[in-house]
Amino acid sequence: MLRLIANRLIDAIPTIFLVLILVFVSLRILPGDPAQVALGDQATPEQLAVLREQLGLNAPLWQQFFTFVWSVVTLNFGNSLINGTPVNDLLAQNLPYTIELTLVATLIGLVVGVPMGVFAAVNRNRAPDNAARLYSLIGYAVPDFYLGALLLIVFSLNLGWFPINGGGDGFVDGLYHVLLPAITLAALKSAFMGRLTRTALLETLGKDYVRTARAKGASEARVLYRHGLRNALLPLTTGLGLSILATLSGAVAVELVFNRPGIGSLLINAIQQRDYPVIQAGVVVFAFFVVAINLLIDVAYVIIDPRIRVKQ
Amino acid sequence: MTDMVETAIAGPTELPPAEGSRWSALARILFGRPATIVATLIVVVFLLVAIFAPLIAPHDPLAQSALKINQDPSPDNWLGTDQFGRDVLSRLIYGSRNSMIFGLVSPTLAALIGTALGVVAGYFGGWIDRILSRIIDMLLAFPELLLAILIAAVLGGGFWNVVAVITVAFIPGFARVARASTLAVKQEPYVEAAIAVGVRTPVILLRHVIPNIASSVLVLLTLWTASAIRLEASLSFLGIGTQPPNPSWGNIIRDGLNNHFGSPWPIVGAGIAITIVVLAFNLIGDAVRDELDPELSQ
Amino acid sequence: MTTPLLKVENLSIEFGPKLRPLRAVDGVSFSIPAGGTVGLVGESGSGKSITSLAVLRLIPEPPGRIVSGRIEFEGKNLLEVPKKQMREIRGRDVAMIFQEPMSSLNPVMTIGDQIAEAIKLHEPLTSGGRRARVIELLQLVGMPDPAQRYGAYPHQFSGGMRQRVMIAMAVACNPKLLIADEPTTALDVTIQAQVLELMKSIRQRLGTAILLISHDLGIIAEVCERVIVMYAGKVLEEGDVRSIFRNPSHPYTQGLLNSIPRLGDDRQRLYQIAGSVPAPGALRQGCPFLARCPKRIDRCGAEMPPMFSFGPSHNAACWVTADVASAPVAGVAA
Repeated sequence: MLRLIANRLIDAIPTIFLVLILVFVSLRILPGDPAQVALGDQATPEQLAVLREQLGLNAPLWQQFFTFVWSVVTLNFGNSLINGTPVNDLLAQNLPYTIELTLVATLIGLVVGVPMGVFAAVNRNRAPDNAARLYSLIGYAVPDFYLGALLLIVFSLNLGWFPINGGGDGFVDGLYHVLLPAITLAALKSAFMGRLTRTALLETLGKDYVRTARAKGASEARVLYRHGLRNALLPLTTGLGLSILATLSGAVAVELVFNRPGIGSLLINAIQQRDYPVIQAGVVVFAFFVVAINLLIDVAYVIIDPRIRVKQ
Repeated sequence: MTDMVETAIAGPTELPPAEGSRWSALARILFGRPATIVATLIVVVFLLVAIFAPLIAPHDPLAQSALKINQDPSPDNWLGTDQFGRDVLSRLIYGSRNSMIFGLVSPTLAALIGTALGVVAGYFGGWIDRILSRIIDMLLAFPELLLAILIAAVLGGGFWNVVAVITVAFIPGFARVARASTLAVKQEPYVEAAIAVGVRTPVILLRHVIPNIASSVLVLLTLWTASAIRLEASLSFLGIGTQPPNPSWGNIIRDGLNNHFGSPWPIVGAGIAITIVVLAFNLIGDAVRDELDPELSQ
Repeated sequence: MTTPLLKVENLSIEFGPKLRPLRAVDGVSFSIPAGGTVGLVGESGSGKSITSLAVLRLIPEPPGRIVSGRIEFEGKNLLEVPKKQMREIRGRDVAMIFQEPMSSLNPVMTIGDQIAEAIKLHEPLTSGGRRARVIELLQLVGMPDPAQRYGAYPHQFSGGMRQRVMIAMAVACNPKLLIADEPTTALDVTIQAQVLELMKSIRQRLGTAILLISHDLGIIAEVCERVIVMYAGKVLEEGDVRSIFRNPSHPYTQGLLNSIPRLGDDRQRLYQIAGSVPAPGALRQGCPFLARCPKRIDRCGAEMPPMFSFGPSHNAACWVTADVASAPVAGVAA
C-alpha cells in the first residue's frame, strides 16, 4: 500500500511542474509593468530601472523561470509590491482562516447532506425524497455569493446576530466568525452530497449482496449501514473530494462577501492591484491544495476499497 | 456538479434518432414534464429580454444621476435606483445580455474546441493522446471557478477575456467526454469496416465518429450552460469578469453589497435572476440527459 | 402423515401496477418433507426463482405483491408472521444461496466476517467462539487453509470457492431448510460437480432439507428425490425423480427430456420445443403451454386442467395425457 501512495505522489509531480510553468508564463504575459505599478505614476525612469533590476525582470526568461521555481521550492516568495510585507507572512496570516472555513463548511455539509441523502434513498419517491430533490435543485442554482450576501444582510446587519466582518481571534471567536460563511458554502455542499448519497445508496441497495444480507436475517438498519452505505463510500469519497475543491473555490467569493481574511481575498485583491509576488504565491498555494486534495482522495480510495488494496 | 462527475465518466451512447424523430425528441425534451415546460418558458423569456433589451429597458443602464440616489421603487423606476442614481431595473435587463451571451457562446465554443481535441486524442492515440490526456486530466483536477480565477488573474476582466476564460474552463470537460466516446466508437464494427474498405480519415471522423458522440456532447452542453452563467456571475462579482460600469448580474450584486443600506433591490433582483435562469437551464439539461442518455439518469 | 417441513399452498404473486398486473406465480403448491430434497425445474420466466424468494419473504413489496396462498413452515404461515420473527427465521431456520457468488458477497467485507455475521445474527457466541465456528464451517465446505483464508476478500477467490463460502454462510446456524437458487449455473462443469457433492454431503451430515432450483434436469436428478416442473408460473407436473424420468406425463416435461442430447442418439437434428417461453402476463384461461404443445386439444385453451394422478406420488396437469389416468388428485402429495 505504501508503494501505491508513493506512486501517486510521483504522479503528482509533473502536474505541479506543469502548473508552475503555466503560472510563470501567464504572469509574464500580463500587460503592465510591475515596477510601474509598485512605484506609482510619480516614479522616475531611474527608480523604475532600479526596481526592475531588483525584481529580476531584466534577466533572460529561462533564468527568471529557474529563480521562480527555486523560490517556490524554498518557499521564499519575496515581498509584496504594495507594502513590502514578506509574502510568507501574508500567507501565514491568511491561510489558517481559509483552511478553517473549508473544514467547517465541509463538516456542516457532510453532517447535513449525508443523512439527508440516506433519508431520501430510504423513502424513495415519497415526500422526504421529493423535498430533498427540491432542496438540491435550488441549492445548485443559487450562487454562493448571493446566499452569502442575503445571510449577511439579514443575520449580521439587520439582526446583529453575527459579526459583520473579520476572522476573529482565538478559537471561540473564530467559530463565531466562521459560522455564517461556512453555512453559506455548506448549503451547496449539502445539496451535492445529499444527491450523491442518495444515488450511491440506491445503487448499492439494489445489489445482490444486500439481498444476501437480508436472507441471513439482518435487520434493515444493519443492511442499510453495514452493507449499503459502507459500499457507497467509494463514490462518496470521490464526491467529497470534488466537493472540497469546490468549497475552496467558493471560499474566494465568500471571503469577499463577509470581508473575511483568507487566501481567496488575498489573491483577489492582489490581482486587482497587480501585486505579482502575492499573485504568484496565491496561485501556487491554490494549485498545491488542489493537487494535495486529489492525492488524499486517491489514498482514501485505496484504504476503503480492498479490491484495490489487496490483489491476487 | 454530480452531473459533471457522472457525465465526465460517460461512455458511448446509442445512435442518434433518425431525422424525422429528432424534432419529436426535441418536443419531448422541452415539453415532456411540467417542470421543463416552465423552464423552457423562462429561458425563452430571458432570451427575449436579452435580445430586445434596448427596447424593453426604461432607462439607460449607465446613466448616472446625482439627484436620484438610492430611491425607492416608483412608477419611473420600478425597482428604484442604486447609489449612482442608475435605474436598477434597466441594469438588470441589460445585465441579462452579458449572462446569456456568456452562458451560450462560451460553452458552445468550448464544446467545439474541446470535442475537436478529444476526438483527435481518442482517434489517433499514441503520443498525441498521452500528452493531451495528461494536460486534460491536470486541468480537470481544478474546480472550474478556481481555474477561471487563475486565468482571469492573467488576463484581467473585460468582455472577450471573460469569453476566453469561461471557454477555457470548460474545454477539458468536453475533451474528456469526447475522447471517451471516440474511443468507444472507434471499436465499433462498422468503423473498423469503414477503415478496412479504405475510407479516408476525415470522412470517417465526420460521418461516423461525430454523429455518434454528438448526444453525449449535447447533454454536457445544456448542463454546462447553467454552470457558465454561474461562472460569469461569480467572476463579475469578484471583479474579474464583466467590468463596471457594464452591468452584469454578478457585479450588480457586488455594487449592491457596498450599498445594501441604500437599496436592497440590486442584490435581490440580480440574485433571483441568476437563480431562476440557472435553475431553468439545469432542468432543461436534466431533461436532455434523460432523453439522450437514459443510462445516466436513475 | 407427518407434517411436512415446508408446505406451499396455492401461492400467487403479481408484479406491476394493480390495474394491469403481471402474474409471475399462479396457484403454485408443493411441499418438502423434513430432510427431503426437492427440485424446482423450469426455464427462465417459469417463476421458480420468485417462488423461492417468496419463502423467505424477500420479494420487494413495491413492485411485487403476494396475492394469495400460504407458505407454512413447521406449521406457521410465513406470510403472516411478524417481521421480527421472519428475520429470526431467515438464516437460522431457512437459508438461501444464490446464483452469482461474486455479486452475492459483500466486496468490502472479509469472507470470515461475512460468515461470522450469519452466526452473530442468531447465536450468542463470543467473537472468539464465532471465529472458531467459522473456521470449522470453512473446513466443512472443503476450503483449504481456513484459518488463513478468514481474512481474505471475495475477489481473491475463484467462483467455485466463493460458492463454498456462500454455502458455509448458509449452513452456519444449521438451518432446517436450504434453498439453492441455480447455485451452479455460473460455474464450470467440473466445479459444478464439486459443489453438488458438497450439498449432498451437507444434507447427509446435517440433515438439512434442500430446495434446489434449476433449469437443468440433470442437476436436479443428481441431487433431488422429488421434482416439480414449473412453466409460466404454474406447476405442470410433480413426482419423484425416477417416476418423472421414466414416465414423463406432461407434454412439457416430455419435451424437456427429449431436448437433452444423449450419446448413442441417432437423431439428425436436436429436438426443440417449438416456440418460446411466454413473458409473464395477465391471467390466462387455459393451459399456459398451449401454444407450444404438440398434443393440444380444444379443451386445453378453454380450461386449465387440474392435477391428475399418474402414480403413487406422480401428478401432472394435462387433459390429453390424463386419459390414461384414474381420478384427479386435489392438493399436493406429501
